[in-house]
This record gives sequence, C-alpha cells and structure tokens, in this order.
Amino acid sequence: MHGVSEMGSLAERIRQGDSAAETELVHQFGQRIFVMIFVRTRDREAARDLVQDVLLAAIIALRKGQLLDQEKLAAFVHGTARNLINNHLRGQAQKPQFEDLREDLAKVDSSNEIEDAERARLVEETLEGMRRQDREILQMTLVEGKKPGEIAASLGLTAEVVRTRKLRASRKIAELLEKKMSRR
Amino acid sequence: MDCKQIAEHDVLDRYLLERLTERDREAFELHYFECGSCFAQLQTLMAVQNELLHSQRSVAKVKGTFLKRILVPAFTIAMFLLVIGTWYSARRRHTGGPVASQAPTTNPTPSSSPNSPSLEQLAKVEPPPYFAVALRSPEDDAHQEFRAAMQFYSQGEYSKAIPGLREAVKSDQQAVSYKFYLGACYLLSGQMDSAVSVFRKTIAMGDPTYSEQAHFYLAKAYLKKQDMTGAERELQASIGFHASKESEANELLRQLRK
Repeated sequence: MHGVSEMGSLAERIRQGDSAAETELVHQFGQRIFVMIFVRTRDREAARDLVQDVLLAAIIALRKGQLLDQEKLAAFVHGTARNLINNHLRGQAQKPQFEDLREDLAKVDSSNEIEDAERARLVEETLEGMRRQDREILQMTLVEGKKPGEIAASLGLTAEVVRTRKLRASRKIAELLEKKMSRR
Repeated sequence: MDCKQIAEHDVLDRYLLERLTERDREAFELHYFECGSCFAQLQTLMAVQNELLHSQRSVAKVKGTFLKRILVPAFTIAMFLLVIGTWYSARRRHTGGPVASQAPTTNPTPSSSPNSPSLEQLAKVEPPPYFAVALRSPEDDAHQEFRAAMQFYSQGEYSKAIPGLREAVKSDQQAVSYKFYLGACYLLSGQMDSAVSVFRKTIAMGDPTYSEQAHFYLAKAYLKKQDMTGAERELQASIGFHASKESEANELLRQLRK
C-alpha cells in the first residue's frame, strides 16, 4: 500500500498528466471503491458502473489539480465515491459527462473482476474442507448476523472462544487464498 | 480507527452486516482505503459471506424443489383419499352399515377451538440448544462443573444437571451462560419460582444475547404460572432485542392475545 507521501506524489503525477500514475490509481482504489459501493448498495451491477464513474471523476479532478491537499488522496477518492453513491441511492444519478474510462484502465478494472471470481471459487473449496463448527460460526456471524455471545450460547462456548475460532477460521481462509492465488 | 480497534470491535463483520453507525462506517472505509491488511481481510470475509449466502440459497432451492415435487403430490393424494373415505363412510352410515351401528363420538374439548392453542400448549418449552465442545485452552473448575452438568442437560435430565450448574454459578459469578442454563433447567424441571429468579439474574447481568433468550424463557415460566401479564411483558422485552428469538416471541405473543 502507498504511504501518505507516496499518495501525494501519485496525485501530483496525475496532475502533471502521467498516465502510468492513473493506472496506479485504478489499481490502488478500484477494488476498494467496488467493495464500498457493493456493501452500501448490494447491487453488483450498479457497483461495477459506479466504480468507473468514481474513478473517472477522481482522475479528471486530479488532472485539473482540484485536490488541494495531495496527501489526502485516499480521503478524496473516498469522498468522491460517497457522493456518487448518494446520488445513485437518491435516484438522481447525474452521470458525469466524461469520456469512457481509457481502455488500458478498464482492463485493470476487469482483471479485478476475474480475481474476484477466482477468489469466490477458492473460498467455496476452502469452506467445503473446513470443520463443520467453524463453518457454522462463520455462517452465524456473516449471514445470520449473530453476535459472538449469541453464537456462544447456541454452541455451548464462551464468546471469547467464538471470537478466537472465527478469527482463526478467517485467517486460515485468507492464508489458503493467498497461497493458492500466488500459485496461479 | 486503527487495525487494533477494528479487530477488537468486530468492525469487519459489522461493516458487512451494515451494522456500523454512519460515522464508524466512514471511519472504517477511510481506514481500508489506506490499509492493505484490513482490506485483504475484508475481501476474504466478503467472499466467505457471499459463498455462505449462495449455498444457503441453493439449499432453500433444493428444499423448494422437494416441496414441489414430493410433498405437493403427496398432499393431493392424501386429500383425495380423505374425500373418498368420508364419502364411503357417509354412504355406509346412510345405508345402515357397520359404521352407523357404532356409538356416537363426543367432542372431547368443546371449549378449545383448533385455531386457538391452550395456555398449556403455549407454555410448552423446547430446551435451549446446547452443543458440547472440547476447548483447546485449559478449563477452570467452574467450566468443568458446567460441562459435566451439561452432559445431563444434553440427555434431557434437567433435574440432575441443576446441582452441577449451581456449583458452576457459585464458582464463577460472571459467567452468564452458567446462569442461563441453570434457569433453563429449573424451567424444564418444573421449578418455576427458581426459574424466574435465575432468569432475572441472567438478565441483570446485561449481556444482550442471553438477556434476549432469558426474557423469552422467562415468559414461558410465567405462562406455566398462568401469569399472562408477566408473559406478555417478557415477550415484548425479548422482541425488543430484534435477535434470534424475535419471530418466535412475536408469534407467541400473537397467539397469547387471541
């Protein structure tokens, strides 16, 4: 991840018209923006469209030097995303009249989608091989929205043990994912 | 907001479940826009959540297919047989066959209509679920007592579980689960006054998970004691948590008010 001063330099390079810096920005924030929009809208299609809009809006503003404090690039991109999501949710999506995302930047974005699909497949494999109770804990936490205390009551554990096992299970998945993704 | 706070306060789960306040959500988003490690964890959990939701929907679909393909035709056949059987017995009665010579049947419970369950039915209790699990970390005495007592509980021997649970509660006053299951054992073995007292103590400990359940089972205890006002009050309190017992408590309250 870029440090704060690297963020500032990234913003400055975009302002100066460096197209490689724009690609870096897409790499850096594309997935984050997608996750943010998806969690807020639960609409995958809308999220895909809005990611493009947010990236374009951010790049154009950066090109024009509209970010005064360049160290706050992440907050700026986040704020841009929030505004466009709010417009979308209010049904007043005033689509910016920008050109389409440059072809090379769009490719970066779609490679993220391929990575997502791969991740989903690997998660499915990993969950199948997991201990039943660990899977139950994840199900109760992430789908049923139960708190560790509630899960503990139904499984006869303590809330602390539930937290630990949940953490262990998600770490295990993350490790396996990292291993498998790096092999491909 | 930093990585430590995020881990300590289950921020990742709460974010995915949309249970953060607007302010915390903003703060967390700003954090993961810059933090690679938290974002990687978030992506993993999001993929897990999607997969679990997907498999849940698949199971529901299979169940739906089962209902359509098996249960619906079976129900149709059963209804057909019932109609034929009713017609046949009416015909035999009409023609003075053996059915007509039987003594007339009486309605055993004229006061209760099939749509309004009796108080006894409403007070019926399903034991709160419990699954024994071997802990990896060493257990203290109280937990050993608890686990031993809960073996009786798992076998449906609630009275036998009570002494061990009382010991566990005495050894560890802070363990809400010990108190809760002690209350459940009193309830299931018909000791209503003790059940009421222990569930009240469970609620007083302020753990929302157990409080929600304790209110629900306390309502059951009141129903057994035929205290409808107390039962209604506790059901409403349980519903107020909007947690796992919400729909069951709502249904019970609805039937109670019939």
